[in-house]
Amino acid sequence: MNTQKFRKIASDGLLTNNPTFRLVLGTCPTLALTTSAFNGVGMGLAVTFILICSNVLISLLRKVIPNSVRIPAFVLIIATFVTIVRMVMEKFIPDLYSSLGVFLPLIVVNCIILGRAESFASKNDVLSSALDGLFTGLGFTVALTLMGTVREILGSGSFFGLALWDFKIAFFTSQAGAFFVYGIFIALFNAVYSYFERKQHRKTFLAEFDVLPASEKVKEG
Amino acid sequence: MNVIISDTPHVRKRRTTKNIMLDVIIALIPAVIAGIVFFGYKAAVVLIISVASSVATEFVYSLCLKKKPADFVRNFDFTSVITGLLLGLSLSSTVPWYVPLLSAVFAVAVVKMLFGGTGKNIVNPAVCGRVFAFIAFQAVMISGWADAVFGPVEGSIKAGATVLTSVLSEGVSAMGLTNLDLFLGTGLQGCIGETCKLALLIGWIYLGIRKVIRWEYPLIILLCTAFTTVFLNKADFAYFLPSILSGGIFLGAVFMATDYVTSPSSRVAKYVYYACLGILVAVLRHATKIEVVSFVILLMNLTVPIFNRIFRPVIFGAPSIKEKLKARAAKKEAK
Repeated sequence: MNTQKFRKIASDGLLTNNPTFRLVLGTCPTLALTTSAFNGVGMGLAVTFILICSNVLISLLRKVIPNSVRIPAFVLIIATFVTIVRMVMEKFIPDLYSSLGVFLPLIVVNCIILGRAESFASKNDVLSSALDGLFTGLGFTVALTLMGTVREILGSGSFFGLALWDFKIAFFTSQAGAFFVYGIFIALFNAVYSYFERKQHRKTFLAEFDVLPASEKVKEG
Repeated sequence: MNVIISDTPHVRKRRTTKNIMLDVIIALIPAVIAGIVFFGYKAAVVLIISVASSVATEFVYSLCLKKKPADFVRNFDFTSVITGLLLGLSLSSTVPWYVPLLSAVFAVAVVKMLFGGTGKNIVNPAVCGRVFAFIAFQAVMISGWADAVFGPVEGSIKAGATVLTSVLSEGVSAMGLTNLDLFLGTGLQGCIGETCKLALLIGWIYLGIRKVIRWEYPLIILLCTAFTTVFLNKADFAYFLPSILSGGIFLGAVFMATDYVTSPSSRVAKYVYYACLGILVAVLRHATKIEVVSFVILLMNLTVPIFNRIFRPVIFGAPSIKEKLKARAAKKEAK
């Protein structure tokens, strides 16, 4: 695998196609589970693990699965891994298991995982699919952790369960607060993203037509 | 010779947004004075904080949009002052300083400015700010209702309960106050602005005389609430006056629900809208046993686009519905 492709997959998963802030996929766990940062990390890592495994298996089987029954086949594969994760989590981290609640089994129908299976893993080789799963999952984890951190600090005055102060704005732990924080994050992410995109466009444009501004020309000279 | 060329409509009255908003502020002054007299300096502090932070938020937001401070001062239309005042009036005077501050920031920045500023907000900023305060600082908001320092504070009222909540849960006989007490606000517990109904009534009359709002709009809300409450309580007319004189319905009906931006545009639509609002307040109060006025106004604000779609105002010069029907009948006859 060349570095260019690797970089493309990485930046796609984390930034350009960030599942939470750019594609607005997997909204249900994002809104419901980000009341604390720890929940966000837990959910994100669970999804990442399942995403990597299902991407690898689907990529391996991409030539075996008939096109007409591919969605049931994908769901079956994903469900297998979700069951494994559920059992492991229930045994070893029961606290997180109980706080994730119904959203853990619901990963089966999580649109991020189905989306990556459909649009990437069923068309690409195993290594790329595994990397795609890793970076998309990490993008999801980072987004959930950020939202969880903000909501936890403002809503319950703590950071990863560590009490900071007594001041609490219960609004941020409520559902309305989830939508509010989510909206603000999407706006911020897109603002930063489009800023860098514009900068990149300008650079390529200037390089292409050889009209570097005077300040940069002087530097070169 | 100076010739001014301007587009229609050619309005000749000096009826600007600023003008109307100043009228509303004047109408609110009696309620503000009553609140300060009843609850002492603490009420004044709450009001000052909420008004100051509302205006400051709008100022900071305009700076973020790279507008010049001088432009901000010139175009300032006092809507954020009203938002701050109404928000402060709908809070208890015992709330800590950060409640009016954060609610005002939320009300102006999120509810009004993010949607595009004055006239573009989909819900009333003051109402939404109050609901924000209610959700965000629930413990503080519910526990401490201040006693008004005037008149008899009846021992029968439970600590932390307003007259309305005790009426709702135990019936009108448990009220312990006369209707006159409710009207004047003596011995009442509650928000700064909603205790003295006399002050609000003066504001209502002023708004009616200045034609800022039509005088019947709040009346529709109040009557609908009162009659529905009576109906829900087996036609017991003892509930008629307490249902409109207790709680925040008076403040909400006169100042919050009649906001231009968040009420339907045609008059027929307004009548239906206010009637729905009044009925909903009574029904939800009966069902939940708590004060729901701010929530109901918020809920009804969101239905305004539907009302605007159903009841289209007739454009000036266009045939009215009557004329259209006549024309259609004439056409049929001709056939």
